[in-house]
Amino acid sequence: MPALLPDEEADVIRNRYKPDVIEGDMDSIRSEVLDFYIKLGTKVVDESHDQDTTDLHKCVSYICDFTSDLDKSRLCILVAGALGGRFDHEIGNINVLCGFKNMRIILISDDCLIHLLPGGQNHEIHILPSVVGPHCGLIPIGMPSKSTTTTGLQWNLNGTKMQFGGLISTSNIAKDDTVTVHSDSDLLWTISIKKSQDRLQ
Amino acid sequence: MEVVHHHSAFLLPPAPAGHRTSLSYALVVLNQRLPRFAPLLWQHANLRLCADGGANRVFDEMPALFPDEEADVIRNRYKPDVIKGDMDSIRSEVMDFYIKLGTKVVDESHDQDTTDLHKCVSFIRDFTSDLDKSRLCILVVGALGGRFDHEIGNINVLCRFKNMRIILISDDCLIHLLPEGKSHEIHILPSVVGPHCGLIPIGMPSKSTTTTGLQWNINGAEMHFGGLISTSNIAKEDIVTVHSDSDLLWTISIKKPQDRLQ
Repeated sequence: MPALLPDEEADVIRNRYKPDVIEGDMDSIRSEVLDFYIKLGTKVVDESHDQDTTDLHKCVSYICDFTSDLDKSRLCILVAGALGGRFDHEIGNINVLCGFKNMRIILISDDCLIHLLPGGQNHEIHILPSVVGPHCGLIPIGMPSKSTTTTGLQWNLNGTKMQFGGLISTSNIAKDDTVTVHSDSDLLWTISIKKSQDRLQ
Repeated sequence: MEVVHHHSAFLLPPAPAGHRTSLSYALVVLNQRLPRFAPLLWQHANLRLCADGGANRVFDEMPALFPDEEADVIRNRYKPDVIKGDMDSIRSEVMDFYIKLGTKVVDESHDQDTTDLHKCVSFIRDFTSDLDKSRLCILVVGALGGRFDHEIGNINVLCRFKNMRIILISDDCLIHLLPEGKSHEIHILPSVVGPHCGLIPIGMPSKSTTTTGLQWNINGAEMHFGGLISTSNIAKEDIVTVHSDSDLLWTISIKKPQDRLQ
């Protein structure tokens, strides 16, 4: 965080950007980092006993329980750091989207964002062209999709079948400010995030 | 039942001249930062292709991997045999440089239906049509990271060409397909790969997978997205065996230099 705000003092930044919770199996966090945030009042939840679920899964479960009185359609979980690096980690994180398919969870990197579009629902994706797009894709993760229909894309799908080994929609282009998607099965939606130099002013 | 053997010997220095290796390697460079061991993969390969902007990467980044040598010497040494793709990313001075050195340029800008990797794999398959495909192994760098739809498009090429050996390689890991219905033996070189690994039912649920050699072996269990998939597993033995009713992606971590066994 301090490196992203180079004109300010590191300690000021670290105090401003204090996590509410640190959760996980604690095998990576440095001890001086843990001490620093504990002193500031961050809650630490040690889940090292649980080797069956990923760190992201634990965090999503925690957020679910912590916000149990909130209507889940109003909750959106943004996740940074889920992509890149080890592929099995990346896939494990994508699997969390599939495991909690009725929650809004968005994986975000410098290059793109990814979220699930659960099957059987009509999805309207509102594109902000100043910050996202145009490169996008629809991916039948987990099982072939018998029929997908879209509007708003350069190469729309029209009751089209998609599966790995055959057609999947990658390197597509979002042409309209609203993209609609309807599919019989869960799809991953991904769209590129504009680099600073590409953003419309 | 057919047994298919998988090796990662391409992460070790090539065997001395005169020792016949059983596999012929081709290398495809896509447009992401080169992994630190790109020169090693280049040495193993008999055929080196750059897909479009991958040529920029070789031009810009190979010299950076040899800071004690002159950039031009390195660029001459690491000259691709072919540059192929839709040519919308390669810089003109890079294209001119390699054309002068004799690199063949194949412009496929008319074909918007397949990815650059797909075009390269088709080219290699046709170029080596007299070679027994089980002896050909295509190493691909730059396929992972960056835009997720590109990454998935590249993984889909593994699925489309499932009977060819194609390995996607990054600084952190490698990925290849284990086609269904075969007995796979994965030979682990602990000095360069592992132990973190995973098996992923890409494309459709797997009704039954059985493994040996892993910390958490699978014993006829079902795998599917939304339920169990094998990630953050550990390769415990030097041979991991896998048999499944459907295609699985195998992935294993690549050791950083500081973690390698000496």
